[in-house]
Amino acid sequence: MSAVPGLKEDCEELLGAFQQADTVRFERFAELWRERRFHTVFHGRMRALERNKLTKKTLELAQQYFLPPYSFQIRVGALYLLYGLYNAQLCQPKQKIRIALKDWPEIQKFQQDLLDSQHYDAAYIFRRLRLARAFHFTAMPKLLTYRTKKKIEENYFKEEFKDPSNRVNSLITNDVLEELMNIHDHYQKMKCVISADKSQPDKALSLIKDDFVVNLKDITLEHQEWQQNRMKLFQNAKETDKTENKKKEGALLESEGSERANALARIKYKSYSAVVEASKSRRHRQVQLESSEAGSSCGKSPSRSEKSRRRRQPARRIGEIQVAKETVTRHIGMPIITEENSDE
Amino acid sequence: SIDTLMSSEKEEDPDVIPEDSSLLTLRIRKKVLERREETIIVDRACRQETLTYEMESHATGKRPDNPTDLTEEGELLLTLNIFYPVIFQKHKDHKPFQTVLVLGSQKLTELRDSISCVSDLQIGGEFSSQPDQAPEHISKDLYKSAFFYFEGIFYNDKRYPECRDLSRTIIEWSESHDRGYENLQSVKMEDYVFNDLTLKIGFPYLYCHQGNCEHIIIITDIRLIHHDDCLDRNLYPLLIKKHWLCTRKCFVCKMYTARWVTYGDSLAPQDPCFFCDVCFRMLHYDAEGNKLGEFLAYPYVDPGIFN
Repeated sequence: MSAVPGLKEDCEELLGAFQQADTVRFERFAELWRERRFHTVFHGRMRALERNKLTKKTLELAQQYFLPPYSFQIRVGALYLLYGLYNAQLCQPKQKIRIALKDWPEIQKFQQDLLDSQHYDAAYIFRRLRLARAFHFTAMPKLLTYRTKKKIEENYFKEEFKDPSNRVNSLITNDVLEELMNIHDHYQKMKCVISADKSQPDKALSLIKDDFVVNLKDITLEHQEWQQNRMKLFQNAKETDKTENKKKEGALLESEGSERANALARIKYKSYSAVVEASKSRRHRQVQLESSEAGSSCGKSPSRSEKSRRRRQPARRIGEIQVAKETVTRHIGMPIITEENSDE
Repeated sequence: SIDTLMSSEKEEDPDVIPEDSSLLTLRIRKKVLERREETIIVDRACRQETLTYEMESHATGKRPDNPTDLTEEGELLLTLNIFYPVIFQKHKDHKPFQTVLVLGSQKLTELRDSISCVSDLQIGGEFSSQPDQAPEHISKDLYKSAFFYFEGIFYNDKRYPECRDLSRTIIEWSESHDRGYENLQSVKMEDYVFNDLTLKIGFPYLYCHQGNCEHIIIITDIRLIHHDDCLDRNLYPLLIKKHWLCTRKCFVCKMYTARWVTYGDSLAPQDPCFFCDVCFRMLHYDAEGNKLGEFLAYPYVDPGIFN
């Protein structure tokens, strides 16, 4: 289906504002909604057939933001957005929100997360939607149509809405650490049992570092702190970057130079870290300044080999709030460039 | 109380786009609407649009009179696109299709009965000498065999003794040499309901009838039945979208749909030529009913007859 022009930008703008607001409360979302008078998105003189089609497409677009891999805050924002759009639509009978069967367990997990972290307003909204029979339970998420498309639209995720790269996180979870701890203890006990002195294992049997699990936790904690620092620095860089951009808008030559520098730095970075690279929309931003602390902290991390870099999953209850907090910060892609490069 | 946070405080006309909208969508839409106002003289729904809308929505929310006809909870609703066989050249790029909603618990034979194809109505035979004796038997009554092909299994219609197994030829062909199609089977259509089938969404399947009239069937959607759908079993399979085909009119009066086609007609300006019943008789037969001139005449059923 061809997209509704302008709708994606509007939704992303609203969700972006919600993300900036750094909260998941419905009242805040409602304020943002009212500011933009978002319910008017269905206005405009059109007959019933066109209105049905438009509403279907709108709900389909909003529904995409409700599913992973978007971050928790964006998903809550999408839930509110769906609620708003569903109630603001002018079709009679109302068009429904399509949820595929494969996505349903994730949504239920999401609801459970909401209840666990006591975001009762979001859970209430979800329940209201269920009670209003707003969902169609389908086999496939997108309704197929048979028109030859002029161009194939690629579904492009807005980078900022995604969680920062969680690959290490999904590898070393809380469960994994617990199991490691258990196995480690068991191993120690076994060693004690078979050695002569029952209270501690033989010296000959010490083949691994005893405090290896504790070290693991420490290292993941360090990694987490490092990522946070980087994000903060990048945010600062972006803010000053914005003001500088206004002064130097016509500098095309410089942008070319910095693009090449960008590419070089990006290649260098790829070999060091596993962070996802910047989306294409960032290219126009000229990142010109650098800060020495950033450079040194970047220098520190690659020295530790990536294999030993682990990420510690914080404890469950605190983790929820922390996760919600972390997703507010911007996603890092663009590396910091030193000034010598951009002068080339 | 949460609801009121969403809606506007003052009464608004949903047709009017506000001037100072912050939404990009509305700004674009406003431009489109303004351009439309400039170019279109009368902005009203045309016949096709009314038909499409009516077909889509005429059955929503319907409830049966008889409670035993109510669909069950947890019933599946399939949306099928049934494509017409290509008749016209211009259809080769966008093949026209009709969309049918089917319940999961319905038999395949019910779907078969609901598919209306123009080839079912053809009357075979040349009737220039005896135009009044064009028989009433349409092809649908004469050739009753049909089959569906889903996922390697042919479902043949065997309800009547005249029905033959059309898929036998295909199965024999595939078994004669190792052609890479394993295990094609042939079963009876009336024993199966849609819930028994394994289906792929978006994958083309086949419906064949009249021996050689083939339709492609594609399943576009499977979902659970919903409170707002039509819950009357008797209305399913439900047609919700049909392609509008222009009918060929009589060459003489240009008013009525053609019912006869003539070949090699010395009285007609083109070969073949279409006539409605009245004009046909007036031109080709005198007052006593004698045939005038040389021609071959066949009864013609226009594909647009289902409009």
